[in-house]
Amino acid sequence: MSDTMKPKVGIHGLTSCYGCQLRMASVQEILRVAQRFDIEYWSMLSSDGTIRHVDIAFVEGSVTTMADEEELKAIRENADVLVAVGSCAIHGGVQGMIFGEEYRKVFGEIYGNCTMDFEAKIAEPIHKFVKVDHNLPGCPPEEDEIMYYLATFAMGSYPEEKDYPVCAECRRNGYPCVLIERGEPCLGPLVVAGCGARCPGHNIACFGCRGPVPHGVAWFDSLARTFREKGMEKEEIKARMEIFGRQYEKMNEMIEKVFEHED
Amino acid sequence: MQKLIYIFWYIRKMRYVKIANEQIHDFLNQLKQYGKLYAPVKVSDKFYDRKEIDDVCDIAFDYVRTLLPAKKYFIHPKEKMFDIDIENGTYDEPEEKIEPFVLFGVHACEIVGLRILDGVYLRDYVDTYYKRRREAGIIIGLSCLPDDHCFCNLRRSDFVDIGFDLFLHELPDGYLVRVGSPTGHKIVDECAELFSNVTQEDIAAFREFEEKRQQMFSHHGSFDNMRYLLELTARDELWDEESEKCLGCGNCTNTCPTCRCYDVQDIPDIDGKTAERIRFWDSCQFRSHGLVAGGHNFRETKKDRFFNRYVCKNSYFYGLGTSYCVGCGNCTYFCPAGIDYLGNLLRVRSASEPEEVVHEHN
Repeated sequence: MSDTMKPKVGIHGLTSCYGCQLRMASVQEILRVAQRFDIEYWSMLSSDGTIRHVDIAFVEGSVTTMADEEELKAIRENADVLVAVGSCAIHGGVQGMIFGEEYRKVFGEIYGNCTMDFEAKIAEPIHKFVKVDHNLPGCPPEEDEIMYYLATFAMGSYPEEKDYPVCAECRRNGYPCVLIERGEPCLGPLVVAGCGARCPGHNIACFGCRGPVPHGVAWFDSLARTFREKGMEKEEIKARMEIFGRQYEKMNEMIEKVFEHED
Repeated sequence: MQKLIYIFWYIRKMRYVKIANEQIHDFLNQLKQYGKLYAPVKVSDKFYDRKEIDDVCDIAFDYVRTLLPAKKYFIHPKEKMFDIDIENGTYDEPEEKIEPFVLFGVHACEIVGLRILDGVYLRDYVDTYYKRRREAGIIIGLSCLPDDHCFCNLRRSDFVDIGFDLFLHELPDGYLVRVGSPTGHKIVDECAELFSNVTQEDIAAFREFEEKRQQMFSHHGSFDNMRYLLELTARDELWDEESEKCLGCGNCTNTCPTCRCYDVQDIPDIDGKTAERIRFWDSCQFRSHGLVAGGHNFRETKKDRFFNRYVCKNSYFYGLGTSYCVGCGNCTYFCPAGIDYLGNLLRVRSASEPEEVVHEHN
């Protein structure tokens, strides 16, 4: 493949910690990645803010300001393929757990009456504003998945997204189940695999940083029922699941359903 | 010719020896000369799993079930199959040299499980990865006592007469050893100083153990008609209620000794010139298991997937005349949602047992 045929790539950061971009920049084979693509734009590595046309745009972060929204729309208009990278872009991230009235209250507590030169809004995932072609999950994504996604794109193909939970990898790795054994509120059954069940492997219950399994197979209701049977209260369960799943459309409804027959 | 030898082998009287408790650690150490030794050890507060054994004192003899079944040594949870040369359109399947290894302490249900996998992986289309490992694996069986989830007796997989090299039956002061293969003979011959002849007292103790064990099973009778009862009750509310509880996590299939579905994926290198093909354990409880080109899904809903496992496990494996379920109880024990597989089968078998079924069917 001649240099002129290298796919053009843009890597953008909206509101987030820039951890996903850091993870992408620190893959072992970054030099081979750089040879394979024309990197037109990279928020974290360059101050050049011009949005140019690219074949594939990777977007990290949630939409939290009007400027984010405008930038995202411009990225989408100038990209053939758009990939949402990480929990903020895909699910809104931890900042997405604050909503409505609660949002006003928290905003007031933090910023008081000061004036700002940007308009802040509730943090939302990017699919609420533009069409997303692929999701690269993680907080941040894992190196093997980053490389897999990049390699398939480089070949003119596309990646196969995982649609099964952390439990699958936890069992494949032979880790003891902290949910069964100790009744800990492990979110492994809800959360998309890819991390190799890193936390359960260290005896720590999964708290869902990678976000819910896609394609509507994250069973918040069944897991809420399981937690309830282990003695957890509704609010406790919600608090746990909201950290990374608040913006999952049916989460609240699914948890409420489990508790409605109780009273 | 080989078949003839096998026939002679089977009709011979089995060889029985005894090993005393004092000799068992020597024996386990000697087993290491036949290959890497893997046996059940305690891995956490409640769980056991098979690990490579350094100190034989770590081996747990009284374990009931391991986190992962013995299948993990024959179908690896995740493995590379071969390298692909994309530019030339070729692939290179390296002839993997498998060192012999010894699995100690395999229960009867798991031995039946491995024979079921043999039927699937070695019969019509031979899986060479599985075959090489199976040929390299020495199986040392161990008797066990059931817990509440065990129902191998209902599956006729509670006692094995084939599928092991040696099988150890617990006695008060040692083990009665059944020799089940030429390799088993070789081991007994080469470690002859550790074994003695079986006495009348040993036979009495063996009989007593077997009787005690049979009485310990919580359910008796047969599940031979289960497949048909399941098909007939497919529309029962039971399946809506139970699948509603399901987390779709796949623990039941991953911990099942006979679940053998795997997924295959090609992972290209960043240069686009080479790739590797990997395979890893899949589960019928996952959405993409029934997903085919064009976006159609054979098992669209969680209920479809849930019920599929019951039907699949309870269908017959004609090679052995038994069901694909060996009654180990792993899927119940390792279900985070507490779904009682045996309990559900009992409800299907008899509408009056347990009691809840009465109002559900009214």
